[in-house]
Amino acid sequence: MIAVDLAQNTLDGLMVGSSYALLAVGFTLIFGVMRRLNLAYGPTIMAGVYLGTASFISFDAPILVVLAIVIAGSAVVGLYVERLCFRPFGEAARTASMVASFALWMQLEEAATHLLPRHMNPFPALTTSPPIEIGPLLLRVDHLIMLAATLLMAVAVTYLLARMRLGLAIRAVIDQPRAAAIVGIRVERIMMLTFVLASAIGGIAGFLIAATDTQVTAMIGMWATTKGLVAMMLGGLGSVKGAIAGGLLLGVLEAHAQWFLGPQVRDMVAWGLLFVLLAFWPGGLMGTKALDRTMAVGRRV
Amino acid sequence: MDGYLITVLSNIGMISFVALSAYILLLSGQISFGQQAYFGIGAYTAGIATVMWQWPLAAALLLGAAVAAIAAGVVGLATLRLSGIYFAMATLAFAEIMRIAADLFVYRREIDGIETGPDGIEGFRDIRYFFANEVSPLQTCLIVYAVLIAVLAAFFLAERTRAGRFLRQVGEDPLLAEVQGIDVMRVRMAAALAAGAVAGLGGGLYAHLMTYVEPKSFDIMLGVHTLAYGLIGGLGTALGPIIGVLIDIGLLESTRIFHGYRMIVFGGLVALLLIVRPRGLLDEVAVNRIQQALRRGRHAGD
Amino acid sequence: MLDVQDIATAYGKIEALKGVSLSAAEGRITCLLGPNGAGKTTLMYSIAGVLKPRRGTIRLGGTDITGQSPAAIVARGLALVPENRLVFPQMSVAENLEAGAYQRRDSAEVATDIERMYARFPRLKERHTQLAGTLSGGEQQMLAVARALMSRPRILLMDEPSLGLAPLIVEEIFRIVGELNKDGVTIFLVEQNVHMALRVAHHFYLMEQGRVTFSGEPGKLAEDEVIQRAYLGTSRPTSEHKTG
Repeated sequence: MIAVDLAQNTLDGLMVGSSYALLAVGFTLIFGVMRRLNLAYGPTIMAGVYLGTASFISFDAPILVVLAIVIAGSAVVGLYVERLCFRPFGEAARTASMVASFALWMQLEEAATHLLPRHMNPFPALTTSPPIEIGPLLLRVDHLIMLAATLLMAVAVTYLLARMRLGLAIRAVIDQPRAAAIVGIRVERIMMLTFVLASAIGGIAGFLIAATDTQVTAMIGMWATTKGLVAMMLGGLGSVKGAIAGGLLLGVLEAHAQWFLGPQVRDMVAWGLLFVLLAFWPGGLMGTKALDRTMAVGRRV
Repeated sequence: MDGYLITVLSNIGMISFVALSAYILLLSGQISFGQQAYFGIGAYTAGIATVMWQWPLAAALLLGAAVAAIAAGVVGLATLRLSGIYFAMATLAFAEIMRIAADLFVYRREIDGIETGPDGIEGFRDIRYFFANEVSPLQTCLIVYAVLIAVLAAFFLAERTRAGRFLRQVGEDPLLAEVQGIDVMRVRMAAALAAGAVAGLGGGLYAHLMTYVEPKSFDIMLGVHTLAYGLIGGLGTALGPIIGVLIDIGLLESTRIFHGYRMIVFGGLVALLLIVRPRGLLDEVAVNRIQQALRRGRHAGD
Repeated sequence: MLDVQDIATAYGKIEALKGVSLSAAEGRITCLLGPNGAGKTTLMYSIAGVLKPRRGTIRLGGTDITGQSPAAIVARGLALVPENRLVFPQMSVAENLEAGAYQRRDSAEVATDIERMYARFPRLKERHTQLAGTLSGGEQQMLAVARALMSRPRILLMDEPSLGLAPLIVEEIFRIVGELNKDGVTIFLVEQNVHMALRVAHHFYLMEQGRVTFSGEPGKLAEDEVIQRAYLGTSRPTSEHKTG
């Protein structure tokens, strides 16, 4: 029955989309405070996931330890990227710092292949429970965990931004960095903290996907970059809520596309949608307010 | 001449085309992650022309450049109003759409009893024009450089015209350019067309040199690399992107000392270089100084 | 309280400040007047730490604050109401005020101060959940002032508070400036509205092309001469630094 297919795909899509949402949130936070694209974000996550994988392969580390290593690894590598690609570059050299982040992308990908030379590596599973059946619908337990974890993270991030002092500072820096400096916020420190936080969030996303796939391939860096970018743009640049919505939407669209049109078309749908959106509605799901604020990015090279 | 050296030189020559393509757009103030799409379109088109339609090489290359330019124009219509990261993402989206489309593109025909043509993911094999016409690797390399030098000459000439100045003005400050009466959209479109053509031309050469192309060759990596070359080498002149290509492919590939660590070294070097020179090695300031030094040298001889 | 000596600051290659010296006495209102491009905002940003001067010293209450970070300078009791307000447009009025108190740890007192701000600026209270970017120019100006006051500064710097505002609102702003001063706040004010500025100032300076060209009390120079020099920058070769 087509209704069942639609429902199943939508559910699957939401669950996979939740990992996209986390990726997009990380991208958005970094883009928000730095006003430039961090092309090394995906590889940062890859580095964290690879470190976790290595600990699993070499020491048979339990899954929670692997999670801790992934988060810590992503955060540390994120700090490395921030120091090298973003801290040294001021407002006038935005493009240069983006290119530098690309250079680090290359660096990290190669370093990763040295750590784990094989294209495919095993990763601990989130759970080995069988799927839950609700009527005609099948729900994988690990996917459910992923969705729950994402929701938790989304709530946590939103709470941080809305209610905590650090969150206020981050929002201030994203909103109007000069005014943030004037009220006494240490803007560079906030940028660094945001960077590390975003990298850690990305690490969690990477962990979740790896743990549901029970394997890690060398493509995970590229995967994180493309999915995160597309989801972020779908949701409208600069909005955390938009990032979450964009990620979920992307997941659902991909699930349907894969079902009805085949796996190859699936990726094309994401890019096609993005292209159409940009051509006609550059503001994304959240409209053009975010667009106006970030138009400063469009200035001279 | 050493076969390996010829291969490296040929690679440098061909990648330079895509680098120059991204460079044109950079001059107009746009960052494009997607010039590899036009490289690929040129490659496939030119390959199909010689292999399946028995066209001569020159015509095939021109067709490749033309089709790529048309594609760039169509994309430009949809995207040139965008700026900054939005434009960059749109170009990337298009390139990825093209790449995936190439994964699905099958056009097979029997030529001389053998089935040939693009075969989706498997790629496009047996682009044997050079082989069939007994052109040696050295000669193909020379052909690549002949075309490249012609293109570079066109660049240098264009820089001196009003069009060239308009292009840089639009890149520097589009609002100011608009106020000064320059039609910014027209300039950007012209830049997009030229960039598409240059990439397409290079793609056609690439297909015939490699005799085999596959969609994977035209991925994001190529796009971001070629963008980086211009930014590293400097945007002062068309030599900038070539310098970037030289540094990456030439030095590091051929020295092989860093075998296996090439990207780690290259990546680190680039990041450090950019900290010191954010606008690349041969940026406008450096080019200016060199030009002045040359002028002084000339006058000193008077 | 604020003592600036021979400050030179550059924007890239352009030297916007060529050696500026002035001071703002405690408990007084000191004004800096001058035409566009004279370097007034550059001076404000140099004092607040947003720009780093190439030479010279800035002292706040005797302590050298030259070249320190904006956050450190705020910690020393300086608050800036910047040119063009620079409110946080995507944050509410209340959040803007909270941001102003960012460095303070005494949350109960902060809450009381916010109430005080609402009492002094009733229109802000009406709109306290509204996004700051949607406020009118005059309301944004009040918000910017209130935000600056949230850090309980020893000295308040104000950069062209009347810019782009209707005359009635300008009157209100300057009335508030007078009130604040009566409450004991030291104020250093940069303005183009010579008339209003001279009405409140205890002491004023004229700045032209990166240098201070006059120093004195209102009344020392005829107001039209001040206006002439402030708007047209017609500086005659008078002595560099006359103390009034």
